[in-house]
Amino acid sequence: MKIFRLSLFNLKRNKREAAAIVFLTLVTTFLMATFAVSITQIDSAFDRAFEETGCADFILLFQADKYRDIYRDILEEEYNVTDVRESSVLYGAGASALSKQGESIAYNMIFVDENTERKMENFQKLNAFPDDEIEKLSHPIWLPQYFEITAGYAPGETFTFVSGGRDYPFTIAGFYNTGLYNSSSMLKCIVSDDDMVLLSAVYEEYRLIAFDTEKKFSYEEYYEKCFAKSNENVLSAVIPLDKDTEKLVETAYLAVFLYMSVFFSIVTMISALFLILHKISKDIEEQMVQIGVLEALGYTSRALSLSYICEYILTGGVGAVIGGITAAAFSPVMDTLTRGMMNRDVHTDVNILRILIVVIATIALVTLFALSRAARVKKLPPVVAFRKGIKTHHFGKNILPLEKMRHSINIRLAFKGIGNDLRSNIGMGICMIAAGVAIMFSVYTFDFFKSGYNGLIGVLGMETPDINIIMMNGVNGEKFCDEIRKFPEVEKVLLTRAMGDYVEIKGCNQSAAVFSYADFSLTDNLRLKAGRFPEYDNEIMISARREKTENRHIGDSIIIKGDVCEKSYIITGIVTAMNNNGISVYMTEDGYRRIRPNDRPNAVEITLKNEEDRPAFTDKLTALYGASAKDTTYAQTVQGSLEERIRAKADEKMAVLISQYGVTDVDYAIRIGDTVISGNSSRFVIKEISSMKDFLKSQMASIAVVTKTFSFCAVIFIAVVVAVILGIIAVSAVKRQRREFGIMKSMGYTSRELMTQLTLRVLPVTIVSSCIAAVLSVWVQRAFWMAAFGVQIPESLPLMIGTTAALVLYCLIVTYISAGSIRKISVTELMTE
Amino acid sequence: MIRKVVLYMIPVLHTEKLCKSFSNGAVQQHVIKNLDLEIMEGDFTVIMGASGSGKSTLLYALSGMDKPTLGKVFFGDTEIQDYTNDQLAVFRRKNCGFVFQSIYLLENQNVLDNVLTGAFAVQKNSPALIKRVKELLAKVGLDEAMQKKYPNQLSGGEAQRVGIVRAVINEPKILFADEPTGSLNSASGRDVLDIFTGVHENGQSIVMVTHDIKTALRGTRVIYLRDGKVVGEHRMAKYGEDDLKERREKLTGFLDEMGW
Repeated sequence: MKIFRLSLFNLKRNKREAAAIVFLTLVTTFLMATFAVSITQIDSAFDRAFEETGCADFILLFQADKYRDIYRDILEEEYNVTDVRESSVLYGAGASALSKQGESIAYNMIFVDENTERKMENFQKLNAFPDDEIEKLSHPIWLPQYFEITAGYAPGETFTFVSGGRDYPFTIAGFYNTGLYNSSSMLKCIVSDDDMVLLSAVYEEYRLIAFDTEKKFSYEEYYEKCFAKSNENVLSAVIPLDKDTEKLVETAYLAVFLYMSVFFSIVTMISALFLILHKISKDIEEQMVQIGVLEALGYTSRALSLSYICEYILTGGVGAVIGGITAAAFSPVMDTLTRGMMNRDVHTDVNILRILIVVIATIALVTLFALSRAARVKKLPPVVAFRKGIKTHHFGKNILPLEKMRHSINIRLAFKGIGNDLRSNIGMGICMIAAGVAIMFSVYTFDFFKSGYNGLIGVLGMETPDINIIMMNGVNGEKFCDEIRKFPEVEKVLLTRAMGDYVEIKGCNQSAAVFSYADFSLTDNLRLKAGRFPEYDNEIMISARREKTENRHIGDSIIIKGDVCEKSYIITGIVTAMNNNGISVYMTEDGYRRIRPNDRPNAVEITLKNEEDRPAFTDKLTALYGASAKDTTYAQTVQGSLEERIRAKADEKMAVLISQYGVTDVDYAIRIGDTVISGNSSRFVIKEISSMKDFLKSQMASIAVVTKTFSFCAVIFIAVVVAVILGIIAVSAVKRQRREFGIMKSMGYTSRELMTQLTLRVLPVTIVSSCIAAVLSVWVQRAFWMAAFGVQIPESLPLMIGTTAALVLYCLIVTYISAGSIRKISVTELMTE
Repeated sequence: MIRKVVLYMIPVLHTEKLCKSFSNGAVQQHVIKNLDLEIMEGDFTVIMGASGSGKSTLLYALSGMDKPTLGKVFFGDTEIQDYTNDQLAVFRRKNCGFVFQSIYLLENQNVLDNVLTGAFAVQKNSPALIKRVKELLAKVGLDEAMQKKYPNQLSGGEAQRVGIVRAVINEPKILFADEPTGSLNSASGRDVLDIFTGVHENGQSIVMVTHDIKTALRGTRVIYLRDGKVVGEHRMAKYGEDDLKERREKLTGFLDEMGW
């Protein structure tokens, strides 16, 4: 009881410090408990969705014309799969649509009918129109929850796809729960049978194979088996998806944020522990005579130590318990945040046990640190305590003697003061380094996302032209590019291959997305991390993630497996590449042909002088080089003169030949009486026209907003923590050195001068720790970006210097303001005590 | 000699209707009441009175350590009672020196630095200043070895000598002392008083609070305070210029008259 009373006495005396420790332990516990609860909820939300929908473990989407029945047989024979579900679906890579605001946006989408959906999983409707209303809809569409949660659509609203200059409006019948295809990387829509036919004119047909297997399934192994049996490389013809990948894609960013919050909680914990150590030391120092008196009165040093520990168990305990309760109360908010980031409903069952463990661990840590420092009381027998401890007797060397002062006495006295409090300065330095790293990292992240997802585009590792065109088979790409270059609106045209082209790397079980250009120097958005672009056919460039994960370096050889052969390449450069999860390789057009000699570039990337011209120029291209052939197939032109109608019909026939039978060139001549109407398929150049920028918008916009908001909040939060630490240190220094400051005031030093002295005392430690933090923050930033996005973003030296300077300035301002209590020191009161 | 007499007549500090009150909750305690007082240049003024008579309060109000509740304090022609705390601090460092009963040396600084901390508040560092500080310290019996010591390694008398050097190093217009020998043994006290006498002989104005007759004997003017008012004043020649016995008797007589 006596111990408890002593603790309460100390708490009452130092309310501000106690409040700071409560705040820091509260925040630590809250962040840690939120992490502990949420990290499991992420998994369980997916597991629940997978269970509720009964979705297949694996889904393989084969390009319809490249699918072979043998692929299914392999699954049945080699993987003991008994329930292979097959169906036809449509796939739109970067399918253009209109956002709710009417802006152009693009998604990777697959379209299925209801039968296919029921084959794949339980068709579990969520928020939907009434059934009788749905029946009245001419083009109903069921969208995955992504569109409701992330894009904010509601049943009954219109969702419009755009292709070949035509709009395909659908009415949202409702949203449904889906295990797979609910992430921004791939979304699945359910449309009516009629609309499947309509959309088949726009999007590619794919063969869907859904299956579960008890055996361990490796895509690479499966592809090799497919190749062995069909002698055809399936790598570029298949789009795989499985539960783990879906989970990984959707939770990657959320997990990153949760781990970031753990990092912040560690910063606050370090701060809290430092404050505890600092405060106990100062309390013992300040109350030394009182300790001596109490010991003389018969209190044991053990009891006195316990009174200090008890104080921190109380403050730490209050903070930890409130933090734990807050974390539990915060779980519905966390559910909403998680729902927004995972595009799924999340229902958190508050895991009391985990929260309790975090609370107990926090209290235990606080107790342990308090114990380590409070044990010092044992070293103070009454006589030593009466004499204020042997340490106050100064026998050391006089540091920075005033005799040798050159400039300002205030600076000199401030720096002399540093040496007197070395231990505190070291502790403060550690806190400042941790807080500095957190704050700088957050600033860098905020800066990177300040202009939305433009920063991400810069590290994408691929070109982001205004218009992407996939050409029809057999089209002469070079000739087409030359024609496009002549348009005044065009700035640059590059001939390349459509995305989704993969190659295998020998000795590596992860296939690589391949990008090829004739001349890489013409590219704008490929940022070299090291080395140079490939120039010769035996040179290759790899992504930064591959460099790190596969330990490959410039000058190393790498063997790429083509369809029928494998060739060796020398790595000439490392490129920052976020696309395809950072698994890309880059080679010259000639280099590509070494492994696939018959494969011609099939895509054109057009960059316009003015991005605003994009819609008009897209229409122009459509008019000149035809809408997509598949679109024309189903075009119903019945208006106009006889010749116009004949030409339209001829176009339609040619389009069918091109899109459905692989015909590359068609000429026609129709004689009507004396008139001959002739034409050819030269207008059918464009197979698909889209915009990578629209696709990136759907992929990255929300990530950019969330990260920017999170990093902004983090900066504010850490700034508050820094202010608390410095404030408490300054206040306790004033309290402890009240007598010294009083004497100085009596000598004529003004409060401002003394505040300046106190502020200057933290200057060296602030500068040093901020500089160390600046260096460490670069390392943390690199590690974070590599782990989260597989890239390394360029460091901005001015930003780093600016942030460091701002942090130092902020620390000085906070200390100066906190030292304001010096003003309250009354010389008279001090003298008359 | 004539010059000295003239100097004595110039007031370096004076007050008009000086009042100082302290409030403790609802209770208002008037410590100094409507006090008009002049401190003459070159004078060694000793303030005496019973405990609680307001001696120290008056000293702090005169020296700008504390602000009066009412009334005016003139330092030369300058009114200081309305100064802000920081203005008062600047005023103090330029015009006042302080010697305290509890000495109040900076414990983290050695003897030399303690004095220099005071000196550098006003003067810039120069070899001449350092030399003067060292000479002054040597003059009060603190040699080079002592100058390197820290306060906790000094005796009370030694520490107070440092305090005096620190107080006079900026050549203040007035040296204020609040019972400077109060915490010292008689031998140390005598040494300290000798220093004060020496300083005064050099023309330094001194205002000292004491309730010790031996200390008061060093002054040239003794004012007696009762209930915040000056109730009596006793003038004396400079210490050593008259017979000490007679001086003591006269002072004792004065104090008896005041009810000491």
